[in-house]
Amino acid sequence: MEPVKKGLISRSGLWVGVLAAVALVLPLLVSSTFAIDIFIRILLFAFIGVAWNLMGGYAKQLSLGHAAYFGLGAYTSTILLIRYGVSPWIGMLAGGVVAMLASLPIGALCFRLRGPYFAIATIATAQVLMLLFLKFRDFAWGAEGTTMPNLGDAPLMMQFDGKAPYYYVVLALLAIGLAITYRIERSWMGYYLVAVGEDEDAAEAIGVDAIRIKRNIYLISAFLTALAGTFYVQYIYFIDPNTAFSFNVSVEAALVSIVGGIGTLWGPVVGTVLLEATSALLQSWLGGGHGGIQLTVYSLILIAVILCRPAGLIGLLTDAYDRVVHAGAARVKEVPLDG
Amino acid sequence: MLTTIAQAVINGLLIGGIYALVSIGVTLIFGVVKIVNFAQGEFVMIGMYISYFLAASFGIDPLVSLCISMPALFVIGVLLQHFLLRRVLALGDMPQIFLTFALSLLLVNLALLLFTADYRTVQTPYSETAVHLGALYIPVAKLIAFAVAMVLSGLLWVFLHTTDLGRAMRAAAQNRDVAMLMGINPDRVFCVAVGLALALAGAAGSLLMPFYPAYPLVGQVFVLMAFVAVVLGTLGNVTGALIASLMMGVAESLGIQFVGADSGLIVVFAMLLLTLAFRPNGLFGGWSR
Repeated sequence: MEPVKKGLISRSGLWVGVLAAVALVLPLLVSSTFAIDIFIRILLFAFIGVAWNLMGGYAKQLSLGHAAYFGLGAYTSTILLIRYGVSPWIGMLAGGVVAMLASLPIGALCFRLRGPYFAIATIATAQVLMLLFLKFRDFAWGAEGTTMPNLGDAPLMMQFDGKAPYYYVVLALLAIGLAITYRIERSWMGYYLVAVGEDEDAAEAIGVDAIRIKRNIYLISAFLTALAGTFYVQYIYFIDPNTAFSFNVSVEAALVSIVGGIGTLWGPVVGTVLLEATSALLQSWLGGGHGGIQLTVYSLILIAVILCRPAGLIGLLTDAYDRVVHAGAARVKEVPLDG
Repeated sequence: MLTTIAQAVINGLLIGGIYALVSIGVTLIFGVVKIVNFAQGEFVMIGMYISYFLAASFGIDPLVSLCISMPALFVIGVLLQHFLLRRVLALGDMPQIFLTFALSLLLVNLALLLFTADYRTVQTPYSETAVHLGALYIPVAKLIAFAVAMVLSGLLWVFLHTTDLGRAMRAAAQNRDVAMLMGINPDRVFCVAVGLALALAGAAGSLLMPFYPAYPLVGQVFVLMAFVAVVLGTLGNVTGALIASLMMGVAESLGIQFVGADSGLIVVFAMLLLTLAFRPNGLFGGWSR
């Protein structure tokens, strides 16, 4: 990546600051629980997308099985909470560790495969975990699942009155995810990742240990995804295998990144805002009872993006930004990582 | 005990024939066009709805409407290749997989919108009948489905090995660039390959209709099986996909019989992961690698 001009750094820093300020005061300005619920969903899926993007975007390993880690995070904290009374804050970290441990054998198996083989193998691992949790009846409540104990307003147990605190929790998660991505993007690891993503054989030929790089980024990605799992089941007060290991989670994580722009810091955020906002708008226009229309529109957007802007929509935003800011002047464009 | 095993093997083989039609389609598209079609199951669903509505409106037997669903899906396949897949051929795995994935999402939800989530069934005179072979019980509808599936697979094999277009298709699968240098028109070959693959999925749909309900998500049952079969049989290898599909039908059925009703899929996925661990290129080698 080229050294960027000082002026631009402070300018983009300014924009991040403005964005953060808006995100922080948003729950104070909006009182509708419906709207806050949508914001929470947007932040949550943006966070899952950011976690996926480390693996799928930078290293170009198309995982369609991130629900495995989402589910492991969700189940670890829930089992610790209900069986042992452990706070989900601790359970969340424990879930992250469990997910990291699980990612080692899964990675060892799947990293030998490339492209579509890898994608299919990751789908299978998530499905196997879901089927196993359906069978663990005594240990993990089987297919019926369980509701979370209602502890009232108990911030230490990650339970809150009203939705705004949940909003701040997930906002913090997203900020952590973005910060980690930002750090990695600018470290040696980021360059190695992009090299592996571009051409694994060539990267190995110049001495990059591709398997180790992929394993390390998979650990981080799995850890973050598990945090999202704990948050989600704490937020909806319910867990069952179909929720925790839902294929939709795996897909959504990848989709928001693709629509926004894979291998870019803000891509998953842009993608989530667009897709979730569209589906929320459709829902409020049409109301319930039109099963399918939301996802129909959603998939049409996706097809249009893939056909017209395969590098993701973030390119449109940065282009427009450049045109406004640097009108006439030399343009410093962010080079999309997947070229 | 022996009868139980034999019965489970027969049940598995019969449903394996249907899996074969779906997975041969997936592997054909992958072999020739190099795209994994995540929407293949949805074309089975379309085939089912075509047969359902023809049966419900005009009383046409699903085995007869096979002659309508197959050509209809062939045409859809040609259009799919020409208008959608062709435009992502030069892009990497990711846009390709997501295009077919988005297509799957689109078709499922259009079906939900147009046909609702209701289960739809077609009753035929042979839906409930069965052949008894000693202690064994063979449902006629499944037997017919299996037989037709095997005939269609055989016809595809003959087509690929004896006709010019079939040979061109195999050549394009082996090495697209050299095939083009030899004067093969890739667009035409690709269109026919995708058309044939979808026609097989349509056939699977019509053949399922006498004994399986149609609903918008029905394709996902079959597409997961097809993926496993296609990987076991080596992506791009038609014969491999056929054999692997039958094996998986049997494995699933034995799993249901001996491990528990909800364990069929666990057995199948365990097979997939073991194969990937020990024979990552599948069991049969292939055209493409």
